[in-house]
Parts: sequence; C-alpha cells; structure tokens
Amino acid sequence: MSTRSKAHSYPVQLVDLVLIELSNWRWSWRSIVVVSALVPLFSMVGLSVYARDLGSEALHTVFSGSLVMSLMFGNLGNIQSHLVFMRFQGTLEYFATLPIHKHTLMLAIIIAFFLLSFPALLTLLIIGSALLEISLAPHPLLLLVIPLCVLPMSAVGALIGVSVRNPQEGGSLSVLTTFLLAGLGPVLFPAERLPGLLNHIGVINPAARAASALRQTLIGPRSEQIALDLTILFGFTLCIFYVVGKKLDWRAGHTL
Amino acid sequence: MIVYDVQNLVKTYAGAAEPANKGISFQVRQGEIFGILGDNGAGKTTLIKQMVNLLASDSGEILLYGKSIAQDSLYLPSLVGYMPQESHALNQLTVGEALYYSAHLRGMTRRAAIDERNRLLKIWDMEDLRDHTSSRLSGGQRRLLRLAVATAASSKVLVLDEPTNDLDPQKRRLVWENLRRINRDRGTTIIFITHDALEAEKIIERVGILHQGELVVTGAPHILKRNLKNKLRLEIAFEPGRPPTLATDLVPRQLTATRWQLYLGQHQLGDVIAALDIDRLTDMKLSSATLEDLYFHYVDAV
Repeated sequence: MSTRSKAHSYPVQLVDLVLIELSNWRWSWRSIVVVSALVPLFSMVGLSVYARDLGSEALHTVFSGSLVMSLMFGNLGNIQSHLVFMRFQGTLEYFATLPIHKHTLMLAIIIAFFLLSFPALLTLLIIGSALLEISLAPHPLLLLVIPLCVLPMSAVGALIGVSVRNPQEGGSLSVLTTFLLAGLGPVLFPAERLPGLLNHIGVINPAARAASALRQTLIGPRSEQIALDLTILFGFTLCIFYVVGKKLDWRAGHTL
Repeated sequence: MIVYDVQNLVKTYAGAAEPANKGISFQVRQGEIFGILGDNGAGKTTLIKQMVNLLASDSGEILLYGKSIAQDSLYLPSLVGYMPQESHALNQLTVGEALYYSAHLRGMTRRAAIDERNRLLKIWDMEDLRDHTSSRLSGGQRRLLRLAVATAASSKVLVLDEPTNDLDPQKRRLVWENLRRINRDRGTTIIFITHDALEAEKIIERVGILHQGELVVTGAPHILKRNLKNKLRLEIAFEPGRPPTLATDLVPRQLTATRWQLYLGQHQLGDVIAALDIDRLTDMKLSSATLEDLYFHYVDAV
C-alpha cells in the first residue's frame, strides 16, 4: 500500500521548511550574535556618548536606530548570503524538485532568520535600554510593528541574494545597502541633525520608517505618523517581494 | 506506456558558440532502466536538467506520462525523484533529518516518513551515519545520501546524474543492486547518466549515446551490438619485448607496455590464437563486446 499522498498543505510544508531552515543555526549563530547583537550594541554605546548632550530625543533615535541595524544585519545580510549559497550550491534546485511552491520556501527562510535574529534583538533591547537609561513603554502594536520592520529588511536581502552574479558581489552589495539604508534618513541620527535632502529620502527609506515605528511603539509618544510608517513598510515589502518572486530561479517557465 | 517523451530539444547557453543539445528526441517506457552515455561536454547534464524541469529549452517539448512538464509547476516534482551530480543541499541537516524531510515533503505522513527514513538508512547502508551532519560526510557518502534522498518516498520515476561517481567498488555494487531492486519491486522507471559503462551494463535495459549535443543512437545494448562488425574483444599480455604478431591484418591497440587489445570477428579468432607466441604470453582475456565498446563504436563513427 502506498503511504504517499499528494503534496501536503501549505502550513504543513511551511513547518517542515522552517525547521529545515532553522538548521542554519549550526553555521550562522556565531555571525548572528556578533553582527546582530554586538556590533549594534557597540555602535549604540558609541553614538550615545554624543547623543546624551543632545537630549532624550536623540538618545531614543540612537536606541531605535540600533535596533533597526540589528534587524538589518540579522535579516538583510543573512538572507542575502543564504540565498546566494542556495543558488550556487544546488540547494534551490533540490527544493525545486520537491512538490512545494517557491513562495512557501521564501516565507520559511524569512521566518527562520527572524527567529534566529530575535534573541539578538531582545538582548540589544534589554541591554541597550539599561545602558542608555531609557524607560520602555511597549504598546501592543509592537506585535505588528516588529514583523513589519523585519519584512522589508528580509525583502532587500532576498532581492540582493537572487540578483547578484557571485557570493563576493552579494557580500559587498549587502554591506553597501546596509550603510545606505542606515545613512539615508533619520535612522541613527535625529531628523533635525540631518540635511533636508536626507530627510526627504528618509520618507521612503524602510530603515527610517522602521526606526520611527519602533521608537513610537517601544518608547512613545505615538502619533498618526505610525500609520504612514506601517503603510510604507508594508508597501515596500510587497513591491520588493514581487520582484524577488519574478527573479528567483526556480522550475523552468514557472513562477510558482 | 510511455513515461518520458522527449521531443526535439534544443538548448544553447548564452554566449556559447554551439548548442548544448541539438534536437534531441527519444522515449522512455514504464519500468525501463535507461542509461545515458556520453563524453564530457556531450550535453548529458543539460538534457537531464531539462527533463526534471530545472532548465528551460530553447525549443522542443517534454511530455511526462503524456502531459507537458511545462503545464503544471507541481506535476513533475510529484512524480520524479532527482539526484543532481553535485549539490550541497541540506548540508546542515543530519543524514536522518535529510531523509525524513525529503520523504515528508514528498507527501508521506509523518509516521510513514520516519519509517521511510529508517528503511533508506538500512538499504543504503547508512545506519551508522544517521546523526552525522551532511557537511561532514566524505564525497562518496554525500553522493550516496543524494541518491537516498532521490529515492525517498518512492517516486514513480528516478532521474539520476552519475549515481556511482566517487564510490568505492563495494558501494558501487550496492547502488546497482538497490536500483535493480527498486526497479523490479516497485516498477520504478530509472533514467541515469553514467561514465561507468562497464558496470552500468549489468542493469541497463536501453541506452542512449550522446555525442556533441546529439543523440547518436538509442536502443537495447544486445540489439545494438548486432551492428558491431567485430563482436569479440581480446586482451593479451606479453612479456616485455616485441609487440605481438597476428596472423590477420588486425592492428592491436596498446593499453600498457605489455598489454594489447583488439576487436575481431568470430571467424578470425582461430587464426589469431594460433599465431600468438604462446611462450611469451602472460595473460589473455576474451569477452564479447561491452557497452563501452558500443559507445566507442558509435561515437567514433560520427
């Protein structure tokens, strides 16, 4: 008697794929600890030295900006390098020969790396708020804000991962993009300290929008600005993932 | 029943002067063991990748059980198990995990996938490696794991790219025995590429010979061998010194300093043996033409 049925449902496939992707902790946990927790923590401490003189608003910006940096390193950088590895080492081909959709695989990768980067984010949140003497007042909206901050970073990482011609190009582009996102808008530096042009660019910069949303839901006060932040983060994610879906090498002639 | 119907496949890689495949057409029938032979760069892997829908053709079509593999994204993966030539997929999983997830993602229940994992570990002689991380396996062990992964959940068709490369003789024998058993017990259609023509001959039922992107011939080896003019292969070894003298105008090919090989017809055998300098003869082996001989015959004729 055959024990084989048709392909499993999406949720069943997703659980398997997330568990497979989580096995990446075996190679990535060291890099995640270093780049997602330690690097943002050191930069937070360094920037806070000057920010203390500028008042609490600046300190809050350094704090939320460092959290975004952690998300960028943990998700953008790692997803980029993972997808490049999958493309060049035959992993993507393996998955393409299974009865699964590539969107399920992509979602599994995002969830897995978010879960892997979450402890670093939490560590940074606790240690950072203690070091900078920031009183946290988390709002329930944070449950929506954190995924919406992670998704655009994952999307950018995925876009680089599916587009580059070799791993070296991927690594360079990932670092460049991280610094561009961190610099183009009020991410680590308060808006009033930036040139007007950077503040204009910052309106559509997902890192700036993520920092703003995190600041409002972790520290407060919240304003109508958060609706715009979340809308831009959601729209940006959709657009980038649409392009990723088109560009990802998969079964010949199929988009699913 | 026709399993694979490959129709006039053409594929040219970007920047390449010559097509990798030049209008390849053939069929594979249900329950058949079909071997693809060819020299390096003949287009074997290109052909296989098109057959498992990982590579788009410039023109032509591939039907699987009568349905185009391009029609439905999930149609082919639900029927075909594929073993790539090289892959580092699932490198971070243990051997047991890789087998379990492959079986489960191909549609088995969790309980059945566990049983399947245990069965595969046993038949592929990998029980001791169950908890080893794949990345720490040797090249041969990794190849065996890829093969085991391809056979997980008993796909109706197996497409294998060089299943025995890097394997020691004992493991090669295990592979051929298991493939023969899978074919016999489950009626699985098996299509594979190999350079190991001598060993593959033990299980191949039909063969396709690729040369420079063209399918030179397809057919059952025993039928194709009828086309050979000289059906016998004689290998002779002499003490170092002069080359062997033959009674006929046959020209032997020197394999080593002391060993020669020649092909001859049955009617020539008596004369050749009679003319050999028996005192200097150290070894002699007479066999019928092999799949490898068939391969050289067709490739040299092009």
